[in-house]
Amino acid sequence: MQGQRRTMMGNQAITQGALEAGVRVAAGYPGTPSSEIIQNLANAADEHGLYVEWSINEKVSLEVAAAASLAGLRSLCAMKQNGVNVASDFLLHLAGSGIRAGMVLVHCDDPGALSSVNEGESRHFARMLELPLLEPSDFQEAKDMTKWAFELSEEIGNLVMLRSVTRLSHASGGVVPGTIPAPQGKARFDHHGTLLDKGHGPVSSSPVAYKHRLQQEKLARAVELFEDSPFNSYVGPESPELLVITSSICNLYVKEALALLDASGRVGVLKLGTTWPLPPKLLQRHLERCDRVLVVEEVIPFLEENVKIAAAEMAGEIGAKRFFGKRDGTLPAQGELNPDLVLKALAGILDLPYQARPKQYDRLAQELAPQATQERDLAFCPGCPHRASFWSLKEALALDARDGFICGDIGCYSLAMRPTGYGMLKTLLAMGSGAGMASGFGQFGRFGMDQPVMAVSGDSTFYHAVIPALINAVHQKSPMSLVVLDNSGTAMTGFQPHPGTEANAMGHPVPPVGIEAICRSLGAEVTVCDPFDLEATQTAALALLADQSTAKVLILRQACALSPQRKGTKPYDVKVDPEKCLGDQCGCNRLCTRVFGCPGLAWEKQSGKARIDEVICAGCGVCASVCPQGAIIKSERA
Amino acid sequence: MITRGPRQLLAEVQEPGLCIGCGSCVELCPYFRSHGGKTVMLHDCDLPEGRCHAWCPKTELDLEGLAQELWGAPYSAQGMGPHLAVVAAKAGPRLEAGNYQAGGTVSALACAALEQGLVQGAILTGGRGLDTAPTLATTAEEVMACSGSKFTAAPTLAALNRAQAQGRGPLAVVATPCQAAALAQRRTKPSPLRGMAGPAELVVGLFCNWSLSPQGLERFLAQRVELEQIRSMDIPPPPAGVLQVQTTDGSLEIPLDEIRDLIPPACAVCPDMTSEWADLSVGMYEGRPGWNTLVVRNEKARALTEAAVESGWLVVEEFPADNQEHLMQAAEGKRSRGLGAALAQGLLGGPGDDQPKAIRVSPELYQAVESGEVA
Repeated sequence: MQGQRRTMMGNQAITQGALEAGVRVAAGYPGTPSSEIIQNLANAADEHGLYVEWSINEKVSLEVAAAASLAGLRSLCAMKQNGVNVASDFLLHLAGSGIRAGMVLVHCDDPGALSSVNEGESRHFARMLELPLLEPSDFQEAKDMTKWAFELSEEIGNLVMLRSVTRLSHASGGVVPGTIPAPQGKARFDHHGTLLDKGHGPVSSSPVAYKHRLQQEKLARAVELFEDSPFNSYVGPESPELLVITSSICNLYVKEALALLDASGRVGVLKLGTTWPLPPKLLQRHLERCDRVLVVEEVIPFLEENVKIAAAEMAGEIGAKRFFGKRDGTLPAQGELNPDLVLKALAGILDLPYQARPKQYDRLAQELAPQATQERDLAFCPGCPHRASFWSLKEALALDARDGFICGDIGCYSLAMRPTGYGMLKTLLAMGSGAGMASGFGQFGRFGMDQPVMAVSGDSTFYHAVIPALINAVHQKSPMSLVVLDNSGTAMTGFQPHPGTEANAMGHPVPPVGIEAICRSLGAEVTVCDPFDLEATQTAALALLADQSTAKVLILRQACALSPQRKGTKPYDVKVDPEKCLGDQCGCNRLCTRVFGCPGLAWEKQSGKARIDEVICAGCGVCASVCPQGAIIKSERA
Repeated sequence: MITRGPRQLLAEVQEPGLCIGCGSCVELCPYFRSHGGKTVMLHDCDLPEGRCHAWCPKTELDLEGLAQELWGAPYSAQGMGPHLAVVAAKAGPRLEAGNYQAGGTVSALACAALEQGLVQGAILTGGRGLDTAPTLATTAEEVMACSGSKFTAAPTLAALNRAQAQGRGPLAVVATPCQAAALAQRRTKPSPLRGMAGPAELVVGLFCNWSLSPQGLERFLAQRVELEQIRSMDIPPPPAGVLQVQTTDGSLEIPLDEIRDLIPPACAVCPDMTSEWADLSVGMYEGRPGWNTLVVRNEKARALTEAAVESGWLVVEEFPADNQEHLMQAAEGKRSRGLGAALAQGLLGGPGDDQPKAIRVSPELYQAVESGEVA
């Protein structure tokens, strides 16, 4: 393993760095693009003597990791960008109180929202909470920087933030791994010192003014170290025409763009790995090189603003600069960057002729694409329990006929905002916010609102953030209905366990904490139903809507067709009986393919009848209940 | 005879509040369902033509076209539809004393039709209190289990569609005037699609002045009684002017004026009091408790009535001319009010009118309604 260059995914490189740093405890909550970090550490847990857990949510994961640090164990916490929002309250206080053993928060942003419903920026937390921020720009650096982050954390006595992005976390590149040390040291929390004794006393951000000053001194120490950090580098001529300041994966875009433009001789690139706080001496040395500066980063102009503040402070020494970046519109402040966008920006500033695409490209693409490809929207998989669930909820809300609606939540079932889930979700915001908002909507009967409200939540989301909302609804007597779409794992991010599963992240047996037991203990009425039983589900949903006296819970339980326990198994063989299918002579108007819309069903032009695509059919058999003619036949597999 | 599709049905009937929830469009396809007294569309359907629209009694009901085709005569502003006889009737000795309103004539006719083999089942509206339950009855016992009047619109024709889809043989339907009109649509507009649904063999129509919205009545009664305690409801003949609600606790009388707001808008534009499109029509006999008025409209109805009397299911007597005159006037009154309201709401059309219309009449009748001659 050691010494030989290997191809690693960015998240794997981060894992390797943490292992080489002797991490002992890791915790997190699944969220793309961060999930592989904890998963990889969990897989390595037994071999390297780690404790790794998927916590109930990001805040708790940070608390678990902080406890490790206070017990003298190096710890890592991983989450996606908006997970930092969830953890931020604790983060604020932890930043103020400080840590003991090295502790690193890896937060993976998703510019362009490839797997998110936001492209939130977690870099700002570093500035807001006065914590050092590191941003690796390639795979080797991801490993090396993670390892160093632990040392930095111990050196300054505070948490270190390390930010990745989707294109680093999920892309792969060469990494030379180092040695993983044997685990050592006994965990112990010293708490007998005074409140001001950071190594042995009780842990708190209070007395605030004192601890805050201490925290700022830690940050100043980090800046000293950043001045000489090898993660900040300059490539280019001594006196370039343009200085590009960049960080993270954008460094690769800049390199590619300069190579394509053949402009490396004219442009210098300052790649920063330590992006908050910026080291001023280093910055001054490079800003002195030329008068024009382009800042290349993704989404919000975080780096750009910080560079501008630093440049203003040293204006007496370096003079006025002309800045290009997000603020002047040279680069977009939303969505992902790519080499093309950077190329266009550079070509504009350097006045180089460059056409990213031949002129006729767009026209040709528009002409040719429809012939070669089929228009497709994001869709639930064949046999997805969510399709069946939303089918029944749609019918129940239609039958109820009071224009009721569903507040959505975060998971695969978020897709129900789109046609694949019949557009059933009418709100889709943060984790747990479906139930919370439904708890609010449910109160508005007093203002004349006569629409019933439902909320949906996945099983993992239920534990993460729905429980407080449900307690609120029960306690405030809000007549909302919560439908828990329990597909037996955190499906969207790769079937990570949650408190309802019987094994933890490391595969060790743990006692499941059942959803229905929790709901019942809160005083909510609970019904459990198999969503593949359309009739029973519809009846249960109608019963929920009919009784608007209290908060109620319907658990629709059916394992995801891709889950480890289901994968590769088909409960039913499904086929269409061509004698029974009346085709367009039936009054169904192609209900199965046009409306139900499982990708496992196809309308055969030649015969004018429905057909099962056996290659992708997962054998759930739900379409047999959808066909009004009983022409879809399901038979149990031997 | 104009037929359009489900989207038009929504626009022309559902959205303006003209749907009476008769169940004609329900369970013909996977799209329309009946729930809580309402007909709802579960999923969008874009077919340009459908049975749902063709057979609906509340859109494109071409009275003149139907009359010409089914009666061989023009639709008249006068009278109470074609009939061979009007008689006083009540259940005969073979029918056990039941929960029936007035004379039990409907139950008696259904039993006779079953026994005669004229039909193999009868679609009736069973249930108690607020819960109407359209039911297929195949025996006298099952018929009796459904007896008793209901005052809310019921999706009776959904039960017909269900029974026909199951391949049940010739069926009778006990129908309100709107349901009888829906069944008349079926006889003149055959299905463009494959399927078993179609006309009924025998239509026993009911007299109807108006019905009550099931949701409205439920809300109204919920403020006055425990809904679970309602055993039955009745509107005794004039001059009582009340809705009697029998509960496990006793009875409650609600003046009719208090529930007039619960009459759905669809009833205001209905021109039919006596179920003119039925084979026989049955209603109250004002001033003679325990008896019904029975209108025998065609030969099939006459044969059934005679057989029912002969076999002891039914007893008939002469119906006085004065009462007949009174009935005619009542029927004409509802017709003129219904057509007048339809005209005022832009729902009445002549044959050439290319806008969607709820009711179509001959140019002559249209003109007469417009000039107020029908009133």
